[in-house]
Amino acid sequence: MIGLIISLLVVATRSSVPLILASVGEVVTEKAGIVNIGIEGFMLLAGVVAAVVDYATGSPLLGLLAGAGVGFILGLIHGAASAKLKANQIVLGIGINILAFGIGVAVLNHVWGNPGQSAPLPTIPPIRIDGYFTTPMFLAAIAIALAAHYIMTRTTLGLEISACGEDPHSAEALGVKVETLQTLVTAVAGILHGLAGAYLVVDYIGQFTRDITAGRGFIALAIVVLSNWNTILALAASYLLGLAEATALNLQAILGVPALSDLLNTLPYIAALVAITIYGVKARAPAWLGRPYIKE
Amino acid sequence: MAASGSQPLLAVRDLVKVYPDGTVALNGVSLDFMAGEVHVLLGENGAGKTTLARIIYGEIRPTSGEVIYEGRRVLFRGPWEAIRAGIRMIYQHFSLVGGFTVADNIALYGSRLGLSRREALEAARRLAEEYGFRIPFDARVSDLPAGIQQRVEIVKALLVEPRVLILDEPTSLVSPLDVEALFRVIRGLREKGVAILYITHKLREVGVIGDRVTVMRRGRVVATLPAKKATVDQLARLMIGERRLPEEPRIAAAGAAGERGAALRVENLRVVREGFEAVRGVSLEVRPGEILGVTGVAGNGQDELVEAIVGVLPVAGGRITLLGRDVTREPTWVRYRLGLAYLPGSRKLSLVQEMNALENLALGLLGAGKLRGPFIDWGWVAKLLVKYVEELGVVMHSPYAPVKHLSGGNQQKLALARILAVEPRVLVAVDPTHGLDIATTRIVHSILAEMRSRGMAILLVSSDLDEVLQLSDRVAVMNSGRIVSIKKPHEYTLEELGRLMGGAA
Repeated sequence: MIGLIISLLVVATRSSVPLILASVGEVVTEKAGIVNIGIEGFMLLAGVVAAVVDYATGSPLLGLLAGAGVGFILGLIHGAASAKLKANQIVLGIGINILAFGIGVAVLNHVWGNPGQSAPLPTIPPIRIDGYFTTPMFLAAIAIALAAHYIMTRTTLGLEISACGEDPHSAEALGVKVETLQTLVTAVAGILHGLAGAYLVVDYIGQFTRDITAGRGFIALAIVVLSNWNTILALAASYLLGLAEATALNLQAILGVPALSDLLNTLPYIAALVAITIYGVKARAPAWLGRPYIKE
Repeated sequence: MAASGSQPLLAVRDLVKVYPDGTVALNGVSLDFMAGEVHVLLGENGAGKTTLARIIYGEIRPTSGEVIYEGRRVLFRGPWEAIRAGIRMIYQHFSLVGGFTVADNIALYGSRLGLSRREALEAARRLAEEYGFRIPFDARVSDLPAGIQQRVEIVKALLVEPRVLILDEPTSLVSPLDVEALFRVIRGLREKGVAILYITHKLREVGVIGDRVTVMRRGRVVATLPAKKATVDQLARLMIGERRLPEEPRIAAAGAAGERGAALRVENLRVVREGFEAVRGVSLEVRPGEILGVTGVAGNGQDELVEAIVGVLPVAGGRITLLGRDVTREPTWVRYRLGLAYLPGSRKLSLVQEMNALENLALGLLGAGKLRGPFIDWGWVAKLLVKYVEELGVVMHSPYAPVKHLSGGNQQKLALARILAVEPRVLVAVDPTHGLDIATTRIVHSILAEMRSRGMAILLVSSDLDEVLQLSDRVAVMNSGRIVSIKKPHEYTLEELGRLMGGAA
């Protein structure tokens, strides 16, 4: 029993990585007043590009880098369209999600001649501790979350970012370049979303499938609310939901009933729903979240 | 101390500002501002005072003309450049980030001036001590009353001593006691040689705080004169121009109405909002044909009292009787159908901004049970609208245009027209003239007086003391959730009112 629990806790270090990266990125984006419901699409597009690069070069690290680059570019687009062009952020996000799914399938067909999945790909070597395997990306994700927390709470940059989301008019009056800052924050957070998607491909799963993200982008959005826009709490919540995913996977293996597996797969989603229903009430979103900031 | 006849610290020359929609806000304004002088800019809404301030502050650009600061022509690209150059502005609606704590606001502002968080907070604490301000640095700004927020604004503006301080209608949201504190600060800065630009539409403030006063009307300077010598009548004439002011309604003889029973009776009412007991045992009566004024510093339970009477907030204890019926537990719509009407302090609440005048009237009639569905007789609604719009002189191009395009005064008149159309027996009106110019204020006052003479019972909740004293048959003062005094207006002295509002009596 103890062995099972330890093994679940260790598996959770691997399943929680994309949730940590995506939710920490989104906390910061939303603090700046921009909502990005296209995280799922960011992850999928970054994942497919990472797969192609990994496949072509044999280097999962280059794949990871390419995924980060895709996230940055998408973030720049989403940020500029939202902050500068005042586009509707929800519609934009939905658009990116739909587009990404289409591109994913097209690339799969083109490169691997299979609309469902790619060939197995080289993966990032795991870290082995006392017979258990985890990923260096888990440590990287924690470091990123801590760094984000430090920036948001201890630096004037963090204060400026929060001011954009709370009251862009006041921020502008103080000389904060609201639109530029919002765009850059969304782009940098896009790197994290891209890393999350690429990690799934070049590390966690080891291949690209068309539904590889499986709603993790949306779970990340739920975690943002759950964390009350706090990066440390987002880190903790991501790990707990990663644990729920690990548990679901293990139960399937233990019970060995394939019919149940789809149902068990919903465990993390149910956990997220329950948690957000119970704790989401107290959450306080940035006052200007998702509202286009239009100067006079 | 007025400055000697040396160079002005700040000057504007031939400023013209035409907004994109064609409004001419400034039409060739030239003014000088001296170090160590309080220069009052007096004018009605739309006179161009705020536009002038915002141009100096770099917030908007002039269409033509120039700003000269310290002898050089300047064109700030944004407020932060003005801030760095030593100019500060305190806005009418404060520019604090509401979701931030006071400390975060100070730190953010300080960072723009090159101060570290610790330096900024130290400076803020020192200033707060110097002026005797009690400021809760760890509280969230949106939780603080307006008076405290203003103190935060003041401290923020003075973190690094400015050379020019602009104040835009600084007394419109705060209590008489806060105004005293503000004036002390202004006088102290004047002694130190700061040039102060004080914007107001309140005639009485001119002589109290000003050294020189410039009267503006419709984007032009009408006159500049020594503030101490200008009389209130003289200033009012300059400010309003040739237009004739509507007569102020005379205070009706109270007592005539006193014989009949109360239309609205509140007994020992207690209201709790977010765990805080905001109303602590309030009792009052409003009789038909009477205006009962309720005043006090904002945040002393007036809002909660009103919302409980209307039925928006649940009652924790006590009883509310409307026209003889106990409505303590009745929902809002039942109260409206019984004959209650509500004029909220914010016109964003009273009118649906995106809907047109006809629809807004229909919604009011529907709420009061005067409009029966499911099919709307628009012809009847339009007839009512025309009748009351003419009676009250609402200026609107079309009954089909969203009401957000109407001026504040016309929106308020429209809201009052709707109340007339609904024919309620009890009206709860909150700050009915907030943000309106003098002429419209007087019209609104006459409408309220007319409603009273038609036998309506009116509960007038307002933080404008003059208004309450002028219109009410009786005046109640609220402090800390209690009514600390109810008397006839002439039985109060101003000093007594100040003490009662401040909780010192």
